[in-house]
Parts: sequence; C-alpha cells; structure tokens
Amino acid sequence: MSKVAQFTLIVPGILMFVLVFAMFPAVLQAGQADGALQLHFANGFTSLREYVQGLWNGHSFHYLSGKTELSFWEQIGRSFTVTLSYMAVGGFVGMTAGVLLGVRTAVARKPWLKRTLELTSVLPDFVIVILLQFLIVYIASETGLVVFKVASPSTDDPAIALPLLSTIIIPANYMIRNVALHMNQTLTEDYISFAKARGLGKTYIIFYHALPNVLPYVKADLHKFLGILFGNLFIFEYLYNLNGVGMMLFSNAFAFNGYQYGFVVNGILTLLVLYALMYALLRTVIFGWEKVIVR
Amino acid sequence: MNKTLLAGLILTFLIIAASLLGRFAAPHDLSEHLGVDYSVDENGEGTLTVPPSPPTADYPFGTDKYGYDLMAKMLAGSKYTIIGAIAVAFGRLFIGGIIGLLLGYYGSDKPSRMGRLPIWNVLSGFPVFVIVWMIMIGITMNPAASPLLMTVILVVVLTLVGLPSVASVIKEKTMIIREKQFVLSAKSIGAGQWTIVRTHVFPHLKESFAVMFVQEIVLTLALFGQMAIFNIFVGGTKMFFDPAEYNSRTNEWSGLIGQARDQLFYYQWLLFIPLAAYILFILGFHLISVGLEKQYRQRFSKVSHL
Repeated sequence: MSKVAQFTLIVPGILMFVLVFAMFPAVLQAGQADGALQLHFANGFTSLREYVQGLWNGHSFHYLSGKTELSFWEQIGRSFTVTLSYMAVGGFVGMTAGVLLGVRTAVARKPWLKRTLELTSVLPDFVIVILLQFLIVYIASETGLVVFKVASPSTDDPAIALPLLSTIIIPANYMIRNVALHMNQTLTEDYISFAKARGLGKTYIIFYHALPNVLPYVKADLHKFLGILFGNLFIFEYLYNLNGVGMMLFSNAFAFNGYQYGFVVNGILTLLVLYALMYALLRTVIFGWEKVIVR
Repeated sequence: MNKTLLAGLILTFLIIAASLLGRFAAPHDLSEHLGVDYSVDENGEGTLTVPPSPPTADYPFGTDKYGYDLMAKMLAGSKYTIIGAIAVAFGRLFIGGIIGLLLGYYGSDKPSRMGRLPIWNVLSGFPVFVIVWMIMIGITMNPAASPLLMTVILVVVLTLVGLPSVASVIKEKTMIIREKQFVLSAKSIGAGQWTIVRTHVFPHLKESFAVMFVQEIVLTLALFGQMAIFNIFVGGTKMFFDPAEYNSRTNEWSGLIGQARDQLFYYQWLLFIPLAAYILFILGFHLISVGLEKQYRQRFSKVSHL
C-alpha cells in the first residue's frame, strides 16, 4: 500500500470511527424497570441516517442548548478560538519548557528532583487543578489578595493565568520525564565521551551532540503528548468554566430532547481538526529546533 | 525491603484497615443525622447548630449539608473505592496478561501493515475517560439498577478500555523472553507450548506483573476521579432537578470529591477531607510501585566484578 493510498484510507477510517463511537449513548440504554443493559442498535442507525440526511438540508448543524435551538456554525467559532489559544500556548510553552527542563534534570543528578517530578505526575490532573485553585483561595483568605481568578465568572471575563498554568505544567511534566530519560541514555553513548575527549564544552555537547539525538524520541512521542494535552483540556475547561469546545461538547451532548447525535459528531470532528492543527504546530516547532540545533 | 516500599505498604495497609474496620469505632453511622438544633446554656446564651457542621470533636470530619457525618459516608464508600480499583487492576492484568502472553509467544515481531498505520498512534492518544464517559453517561443518571450492579458495569467498562495497553506491554516483554536460550532448550526437549508459556515465560514476568498491578490501581483511581468530575460516580449518580444537583449513591471517595467540587469557598472540608484521603491512597500505591521497582532492580541488577 502506498503512502497516498494509506492517507486516503485514514480519513474515511477516522470518520467511520467517530460516527460509530458517537452512537454509544444512543445504542446503550438501561431498561426502565430493572436497570438491565439493553442494546438498541436501531436507535444508533436511525440517528446516523438522520445525521446524513441533515447534512444536505443543514439540519445536522442545529442543536439544542437546553430548549434553545442554536446554529452550530455560529457557536463553534468562539469555542474553537478559546480552546485553540489555550492549547497553542500550553502546547508550545509546555513542550519548550519540558525539553529544556528535561535536559536540566538529566544533567542535574539530583535524585530528589526526579522523585518530586514522578510524584506530581502520579497525581491526576484534576487534583492538581483543584489544589491550585485551593492555593489561590487560601492566599486570598489569609491575605485578602486574589492573585488569579479561580474560574471564569462569564465568557467576557475569562480566567487566564490559572488555566494556562495548568495546561502548561501537566504536559510539561510528562515531557520533562521523557526527555530526561532519553537524555540520560544518550549521554552514555560513545560519541559523547569522544566529544568530551576532544575538549568540547558541556553546554555545546548537550545541545549539539546529545539533544539532536533526543529530538526523534520527542517527535515519536508527540501523539502521546497531544493525548495528555487533550485529555487535560476537558478537565480544565470544565473546572475553570472556560467556554471551549470540550465544555460545549459535554454540556450540550444531552439536551431537552435527549441525546444529540449530530451535535456530538460535529463536536468530535472539531476536536480532530484541533488535534491536526496542534500536531502541525508542534511538528513545526520541532522542525525549527532541528534547523537551529542540528547543523 | 527498602524504605519506600515499606512506607507505601504501611500507608496503604493503614488506609485499607481503617476504612474496612473503622465502622466499628466510628462515632456515627449513616442512619443518624445532625438536625437543626437550638440550645440555651445556663448563662442564657443560645447556640444554634445547623448542618453542615464543620469538623468538631463530635463530628471529626464534619457533616454534609443534610447533616450526615462525612466520616460515616467515607467509611461506607471506601469499600467501593478500594475493591473497585483493585478489581479493575486485577481484571486488566489477568485478561490483558493472558492476551499479551499469547500474542507475544505466537505473534510475529514485525508489525503488520495494519499495525503501522498512524491511526493507532492517534487512537492511543485518545483520552480514555472520554470513551468511558460516552459509554456511561446514558445509563448512570438515576439508574434503576442497584449500586452494586452499576459498580460492576463500570468496573467491566474500565477493565475493557485498559486491556489494549496492558496486553501490548506484556506482549513486548514476552517477545524478548521467547528469544532466550532456555525457551529454545525447553522446546528442544519437547515441552508443549502452553507449558513453556506457563513455566518459563510467565515466571520471568512476575515482577512486571506485580509492578503493573499497582500502577493500574493508581490509573484506575485517577479515572474514577476524572469520571467523578463529570458527575459519573461509581455505583451510579443520583440526580436532583431544580436546581440540578448530583449525588453519589455509594459515597465512594471520588464521588464525594466530585459532588463537593463547588465547595471551594464555603464548607471546604466537604471537598478537602475526601480529596486528602484520595491523594493519600494514590500516594500509598505509588510508593509501593516505586519501592517494588527499586527492590527488583537491587535483586536482579548485575554487580561489578572488581
């Protein structure tokens, strides 16, 4: 199979996956009387048919928010911008800081640093968010000084610092551990001791000999990194009350008339577009580093 | 036994013992609750007690807004947290382990055409809790099923979504071991394939299984918590309308955290006591897994000959 054929197969493959995946809540239902699980495949295929039919007359791009009917295209723009801006900053800063601090950690030889990093990485993301929020509340109640907004009171007045902080630290933590691990392995290679024997400086060896051989691992782990970034996205949009795509998807999946299949499909496809954009952005960043570092 | 492992074991043991035996020593249980009360002492000063009561001598963890003792709630819910998480981890390792051993022993080491498609990379980055959310959200609100049945359903779902990652890790480790000479020699003296997997491959993976088991418990606890943030509680969600309010039916710990999510400013103990217990529990298992890894490294690492 050629690359082109693979690529042309992937897009319908992903579409199929999303269409089937979004059927779950329509298909899987609990019985009214005894709560036994029941599978209603007919419901799933009915919603799929309605969605495809609605694509032509535009009905699939209307959804209910509570009882209000809204147009998907009018609402998605703002949510998309909100999510993309937080993610772009979080992903970019998280990765840059992650790689640099990862290098630092690998060279530092301080076991307690590694242990602390491991410990924070084992705490789930929502715990870190709640602890950060509590820290702000605690400082405010002790000193009367509100350092950052704990959550967004409204869409016109969004919380910025705390959400950005959590989008950065959680993926960055993963990046630091990952880079430090590969960096430690790379520093044991023969070409490093050769470079050292030639009298090259430590910084020079790290950035021009070791880091270029660590970057491929970073590139290969990009999907995992993005997975963490996206998994984190749902949690922090929800906890910080940010009006992004994840929040929109979760809060409107069930409306007055029940499960909205078309809306969920549209929402997931939007997330996939975001994923592609973020992937392209981070690949560009790595490409830029390779141009600067690898001569 | 190193200090990390010992600390982890003691911490975990204490939490499990306290939560399973604590109901015999607890001052209150879920059948009683603190009502609104106004009492006048001999000086003529009145005291008004209204739930929620902050932590006091009588209610060490305080009460919720209906007057139920938080400690009693946590004791009632702890068995769901502990047994649920261990059940998921066990299920993942038992089924995923068997699949991984078989795939690793019989499978080919070159990834197939299907396996090399980048779509698998994208899917492996897909957040697990979104999948679980999609499956559970339709059935978890005010279910007719009993809390136990709902817990079993969630445990099965969490086990299934965790299987691929466990199976692929075990598969890779098995592939390395099947190339060893003792496997070849077992084959050459006519050992059956199942015997080789059982008596030659598996014993070499026992340590990996132990470490992964503890790590899967931590991952499961994290997933419980993430689901609880989205109002999907272990054992089902009791939802009240006007105003919308979500309550855990089983008082499972992450459920207590999830339903007290808005208590950041007032009645903070409702959020932080369950959260502290939950963090300690995760910490205990984390220490065990780090300690086990260290222990095995010491036992199996080669020493210098000089």
